[in-house]
Amino acid sequence: MTRLQEIPWVEKVGLNEPAAQFRKRLQPPGRLNLYQLAWLRPLIESQWPQFLIRMLTLASFVFIIAGGLFGSLVGSHNIAIIFVWIAWWTALKLVFIPIGGRSWCSICPIPLPGDWLQQGGVLQTGRRRYGLNLRWPKRLRGSWMQSGGFLLIGLFSAVTLTDPQVTGWVLVALFGLAIGLSLVFEKRAFCTYLCPIGGFSGIYAQTSPVEVRIIDKEICIKHEVKSCYQACPWGVYPVAFRDNSACGLCMECLRACPSDNLALNVRPFGTDLGKPKTSTHLDETFLALVMLGSVVTFAAVFTGPWGWLKSAAFDIGSLPWFGYASAYLAINLLLLPAIFSMAVWAGQKFTGTWVSFKRAIATQAQVLLPLGLMAWIAFTVSFALPKLNLVLGVLNDPFGWGWHLLGISEIGRMVNMAGISMVFQVILLLVGLFWSASVSGKLSAKSEKKSSRLNLPVLAFCLIFTLTMLWLLVG
Amino acid sequence: MIDQTPLKKQLSHWWQWTLLSVLGLVVFFVPLPARATTPIDQIFHIDARRFEYDPAILKVNQGDRVTIELAATDVVHGLAIDGYNLETTADPGKTARLTFVADQPGTFRFRCTVTCGNMHPFMTGKLEVGQNSLLWRAIAFTGLVLIAGVWMGRK
Amino acid sequence: MKKEWLARGIVTLGLAIAVVIPAVGWWQQPQGIVVHAHMAETGGWTPENLTAEVGKPLHLRLTSDDVTHGFAVGRLDQPAVDVVPGEMTDITLVFDKPGKYTFYCTRWCSINHWRMRGTIEVTDPNIKAETAKPPLYVTLGLNIDAEHHTSAIPAQMPTAWRGALLNRAIPAEYTNRDFYLSHSPVDLWLALRSEPSFKDLTDQDVWDQVAWVWQSNTTTDEIQIGGELFAANCAACHGENGAGDGVFADQLAGDTGNANADTSMGAHTLRPADFTDPGHMLSTSPAHLQGKIIRGGMGTGMPYWGPIFTQDQTWALVAYLYTFQFNMEVLK
Repeated sequence: MTRLQEIPWVEKVGLNEPAAQFRKRLQPPGRLNLYQLAWLRPLIESQWPQFLIRMLTLASFVFIIAGGLFGSLVGSHNIAIIFVWIAWWTALKLVFIPIGGRSWCSICPIPLPGDWLQQGGVLQTGRRRYGLNLRWPKRLRGSWMQSGGFLLIGLFSAVTLTDPQVTGWVLVALFGLAIGLSLVFEKRAFCTYLCPIGGFSGIYAQTSPVEVRIIDKEICIKHEVKSCYQACPWGVYPVAFRDNSACGLCMECLRACPSDNLALNVRPFGTDLGKPKTSTHLDETFLALVMLGSVVTFAAVFTGPWGWLKSAAFDIGSLPWFGYASAYLAINLLLLPAIFSMAVWAGQKFTGTWVSFKRAIATQAQVLLPLGLMAWIAFTVSFALPKLNLVLGVLNDPFGWGWHLLGISEIGRMVNMAGISMVFQVILLLVGLFWSASVSGKLSAKSEKKSSRLNLPVLAFCLIFTLTMLWLLVG
Repeated sequence: MIDQTPLKKQLSHWWQWTLLSVLGLVVFFVPLPARATTPIDQIFHIDARRFEYDPAILKVNQGDRVTIELAATDVVHGLAIDGYNLETTADPGKTARLTFVADQPGTFRFRCTVTCGNMHPFMTGKLEVGQNSLLWRAIAFTGLVLIAGVWMGRK
Repeated sequence: MKKEWLARGIVTLGLAIAVVIPAVGWWQQPQGIVVHAHMAETGGWTPENLTAEVGKPLHLRLTSDDVTHGFAVGRLDQPAVDVVPGEMTDITLVFDKPGKYTFYCTRWCSINHWRMRGTIEVTDPNIKAETAKPPLYVTLGLNIDAEHHTSAIPAQMPTAWRGALLNRAIPAEYTNRDFYLSHSPVDLWLALRSEPSFKDLTDQDVWDQVAWVWQSNTTTDEIQIGGELFAANCAACHGENGAGDGVFADQLAGDTGNANADTSMGAHTLRPADFTDPGHMLSTSPAHLQGKIIRGGMGTGMPYWGPIFTQDQTWALVAYLYTFQFNMEVLK
């Protein structure tokens, strides 16, 4: 949304490119370029459809905050709790991420006021722009703070997920933080470095069947201006995309490219996974482990039969809560990283391969992503599905003030879906394990050595995680 | 590029997949060893408080006639069993009774049905009727799925 | 430029709708005073004191902010309604007589559930409020806080129909209602025991007669009403079987040095009375019980029901309490 230059759309053909080659180029091999579909293109090329959807999410966001702060104190009858933690969360986990990767980011209302202030206008850049446009400090880069944010949510989750006022204030705080950061730093600093949702959407986006990529590198090399980079609100460089984790699918670069060299591709699931990593940054690994540790903890606390654990998680400030907090942090900060690192090390030792330890960890961490995504979907199914009837209730009476917007006077109990739900959760976990195992297989097949043995300890880690989740959800 | 994979290797791949599929069918259909038990009457007294049931895990055999006495000890609570379509509500001082025949095997969650505070949506317990065949089959499948996944990745 | 202004307009419109809908909804609420229910520990009823006029309907909109509550008005012929968390219950009250009415919670919501009460001051410009008559125990001069016990207890539970079967004429002074109200069962037993015409009867037989006299002062309907009142209001502390072992009993046992004593609300509470204890119960007269029920226990944790129950309801409850000591079945 920021820095959109008015590109003259006449200049659609690439420099010195014959027409036939142009047409062939636009559908890259093994991909379906949605941007070239005649019926879809106008909807993406024009800013209005996306803008209108964003206005809907923005207005809903404000309405939900009002509900949280002023509506009924009873969570199950307040639109803030039901819409944020049941409706939107389910949509995020079951639709937005598996199918679209970081697609929620493209319609998220939180960065919008910041974007508008930075560019001095809503749809067009204005003359008066606000913001200091500082570069984000190098020390704070990476997804470490996003992992930290997620851990923070986890510590207070029992109260945040159930108290409407707390949810309301958390949303206000995130909104204010995003706007504040936009006035100090360049681009969408909150989304890139702080937002926990962006964090896990990003890592799991590597499994998704949708991507934004350049089509022909040669054209980009010849292009001096790099309008895609100028247009991107996140300040990333689409030419250099290796995976989906940074791209918020906002389509600005597609609109800005004068050579139509950017594609919105449909591709096989998990295409980003299975390649050895060259970077030694461990922030994504840490986030992947935090997601695993958190889903196991939340499954135990929220869907388990252990009341003492729920009370411990809920009575913030009490001694049992400190026990819960310590255990939660120990699992995520110490236990899982240690076990996973040992598994990677042992795997390397047994197969006789040796790459830099950090690189090996970062590479093997990809194995955790499909399983983590499926485990989160299964967990969401287990706690949200029985409560979907509450969504109807809050659409009827968002504030718990006795309204009847939909004309319903009594919300019936949810149709009994327990049996199907359990089977569905099992299938999800099995699909996740299958997929993670295939990523592991792919990685081992790509290793340099002839013998190409499997990293069994990492597979064992995945197996134990799957069995734990099965026992918690279905046992 | 002509596919130069030796015929032997192609056949062995085919063999591996067939074996996996057969094992999968076995896991899916083979009945679990059932301990033949005569159905008895079982009574459970459950104390309900915010936000737990005590006891929270009930174990019965398939066919037993189960009576649950629900005693609320602080506020009004309810109890509904997933998959059995049963529900009851108990006020403190008024023990509620629920009687049913546990004809369906498996593990069923039961939940509180009366808003009793913040963590009410997560107030749950488990009813274990006979063997949890879904869990056992799922565990068996994890092994098969792991092997299948690795083969798939290495192709 | 036009595009930009249109976009800004849409933004403003969207935000306006998001804010206006709740604001309008708040102002346009259906007629009625909104009353929020909380557990007593976190505020009870808000507002707590209402006013009304005789003959003018009072519209209330009730909602709960935490758990399931109920709403009823003492001494008013209006069925109780549930006050459900997150939902609004509309109720309209009409008062015929002026006075200070007490509204109260009818679904147990914590150990201090009975403290969840408020008042409705009903005025009538024409009539002056009736002065209340003192309850019976005051007229009789009973000290309802005094320790009392009897060792003259029956070997088995006395049975009313057995007493009836004995078919012995009991002097009229013992069977009238005034005697019943002002004397305890053991008083009657001692009186009958010393009656010369009953010399041949065993102690147990005389107890059966006492049970029969007790039964003849009540009806099965009255006992049924008393039973329902007991289950809804008393069982949570006194136990469903009257043995003083209800779900809150342990938390109330204060003076015995119990660490779980509820000392909230500045009270030193006692374990609830055991109605199945013959030594205690048989030495209690109906007037004594009525007094305890109406007045409460002076900080022992026993609520006062004076503003809540009508006279008839209180006597029904008293009659029911004796069923823990006497078998008052009516044989067909």
